[in-house]
Amino acid sequence: MKKTASTPIPRRIILGAAVTAAGLALSGCAGASSPSSGGNVELNFVYWGDSNRAKMTDAAIKTFEEKNPGITVKSEYQDSGPYADKLATRFAGGNPPDVLNMANRSLLEYAQRGTLADLKSLPEIKLDNIPATIQSRGEVDGKLYGLATGVNLIGMVVNKTITDQAGVAIPDDKTWSWEDYAKFATEVTQKTGGKIYGAGYDVATETGPILFARQRGEDFYTKDNKLGVSEETIREWFQYSVDLRNAGGYPPAGFFEQIGGSPAQSYLAKGTVASQIIPINNFRGYNEAAGGNLVLLRMPGETTEKRRGYSADPSMLWSVAAKSKHPKEAAKLVNFLINDVDGAAETLTQRGVPINPEVADAIMPKLGTDDTKFVEMVAAIQEDDLPPAYVYPKGASVVADTLKQLATEVEFGRVSPADAAKTFLEKSNAAINK
Amino acid sequence: MSVLTKQAPGAAAALATAGGGKPRRGSSRRTNQRSGYLFLLPWFLGMLFTIIPFFASLYLAFTDYNLFTEPNFVGLANFQAMFEDPRLLQSLKVTFVYTFVSVPISLAVALLIALVLNRGLQGLAIYRSVYYLPSLLGGSVAIVMLWRYIFGNDGIVNGFLGIFGIQGPAWVTDPEFALSTLIVLNVWTFGSPMVIFLAGLRQVPSMYYEAASIDGASRWRQFRSITLPLISPIIFFNLIMQLIGSFQTFTQGYVMSGGTGGPADSTLFYNLYLYQKGFTEFEMGYASAMAWLLLMIIAIFTAINFIASKFWVFYDN
Repeated sequence: MKKTASTPIPRRIILGAAVTAAGLALSGCAGASSPSSGGNVELNFVYWGDSNRAKMTDAAIKTFEEKNPGITVKSEYQDSGPYADKLATRFAGGNPPDVLNMANRSLLEYAQRGTLADLKSLPEIKLDNIPATIQSRGEVDGKLYGLATGVNLIGMVVNKTITDQAGVAIPDDKTWSWEDYAKFATEVTQKTGGKIYGAGYDVATETGPILFARQRGEDFYTKDNKLGVSEETIREWFQYSVDLRNAGGYPPAGFFEQIGGSPAQSYLAKGTVASQIIPINNFRGYNEAAGGNLVLLRMPGETTEKRRGYSADPSMLWSVAAKSKHPKEAAKLVNFLINDVDGAAETLTQRGVPINPEVADAIMPKLGTDDTKFVEMVAAIQEDDLPPAYVYPKGASVVADTLKQLATEVEFGRVSPADAAKTFLEKSNAAINK
Repeated sequence: MSVLTKQAPGAAAALATAGGGKPRRGSSRRTNQRSGYLFLLPWFLGMLFTIIPFFASLYLAFTDYNLFTEPNFVGLANFQAMFEDPRLLQSLKVTFVYTFVSVPISLAVALLIALVLNRGLQGLAIYRSVYYLPSLLGGSVAIVMLWRYIFGNDGIVNGFLGIFGIQGPAWVTDPEFALSTLIVLNVWTFGSPMVIFLAGLRQVPSMYYEAASIDGASRWRQFRSITLPLISPIIFFNLIMQLIGSFQTFTQGYVMSGGTGGPADSTLFYNLYLYQKGFTEFEMGYASAMAWLLLMIIAIFTAINFIASKFWVFYDN
């Protein structure tokens, strides 16, 4: 190429070729962490989320860089779907990020294939303050492959403006049963003349049946990473929504369209449903979107069923790639993310309640009313005697997809809850650990 | 700068070859050859990025590659597993229904609009662009999202039906309607076959029509006996291209269903399922085998078309 550069002709060609080459180089090396000269280490850090989360994370990273001269952090974020795909490709291509967000349903898959580092083998990560129950959610075969980014639970939110106008009392969430919730939801629909549906939760997301199964004394995923939920429980989970729909408390088939998942796009914000199940770290977002009169409640059935449905559930995990070129620095970043008060002061409860209780306490004064409510609820629930929860098995993503698919079939009456439950167990068991 | 530099490289190379002999010419000839190769370089690189994955996927189709660990050779196991995979059959069904319904309709619409535009409308260029635009955007994420809104429960379509007191179906979330909605989207992007039809119609010599008019042939008769036979190679070309494109549909299903192929697998296109297998279930070996099955299916349909074309495609030599 240099030779031709001396002739007058191909200036543009050179430019074009250079651009092409640069493009190739860029696409080939995008995100690669390479040790640059001058002792400066660049870490590649990836996570999923929206721009708001990114803003808070960037602020925390800045604090980290100030505290750790010589380390720069290059971060990337995406929506969870594309994130999962891109992560798989990067690991497959031998180009993993140093520090990454790991989904509960993918942890075992990645860990057992040797792609993640044992966090206990990295002395930079201080685990003294991290409760054992929380650590256990990232443990596979006695090694620690992921640390929860925070604790998060699902909860019920009710729009009090709507229930007040309809003249419906919100039941006591410390004692309410699933039956109470159905009665409440149906009453809201009736008293609003069918304009607003009392219930609006998502049947197809696994967090619902996971909690429901625990309440009925079953583990959705068991200690030895199998499917532990019974056909009966899945059948009743589906049947409950069918009955609630028939009674009028739940919207008709096809009502829910998932166009974007943000609180602002929710039916709660549109005011067409009066209640919804949400991951409660989003309480503030939903409350702001829905006009500021939402009430945060515990899930129904917590005291009326066999046992509690809540557990110490991580919202997601932090992991380090086994092939990270800078494991020491990567470990420092993970340690910062879970143990550093100044870092947590930037991210607050964006990824759930910090798993280090000291950090959680330290950020409490900085939280607004809604976030305080959420943290207090998590704290109150964690004080109770909760059943254990386990790492998701391999193939958990197929289980999630199967649930989604069958929920639609049931919704449109194409399959009965009983048949759906049977199919769910068959397909899930076939997909797990194969 | 020499005169040559201002010419297109192909023309320059041709000139240089033709001129040859004189020393100055010779050096510029070499230079031109070099620049010719330089121009070809991106193509060679591109081919490299096609050929390597091509053979890699052929190899992986016979392995249990899971993206993370070394692939093991498993023989025909992936192909055998396909016969027992109900979701694979579902994805084939979705893809075939989509192709065999939407391709004929969109070709018919494209031809009809091309015939209308060919009659020398005023502002033809504008119409052409307006009709062509959706084709450019058809497979894009933005248009599919827009489509979701148009056909959503509170969308324009159901709003329009509501005027007449009709409660429209849940176009996007009902498994009975989701695929039809995507077929309508595909038909709407008839622009690129239309532009090709338009070019074909321009090639039909007007003397045939003049002669036919003198003989008293009706417009319909003229269309059937002159237009259709003369543009049959164009129809054939469009058919093949649309068919191949349609078999490879991915974006529409992916975006419309948020990557799941839902509701209830009703928009689980073959390529979408292939993608799920490779990237969410980490069965890249199986996904590669699926890719080769698709290649075979497309090859078979293209071959059938070529054989059948002997009976209806007319080349006017």
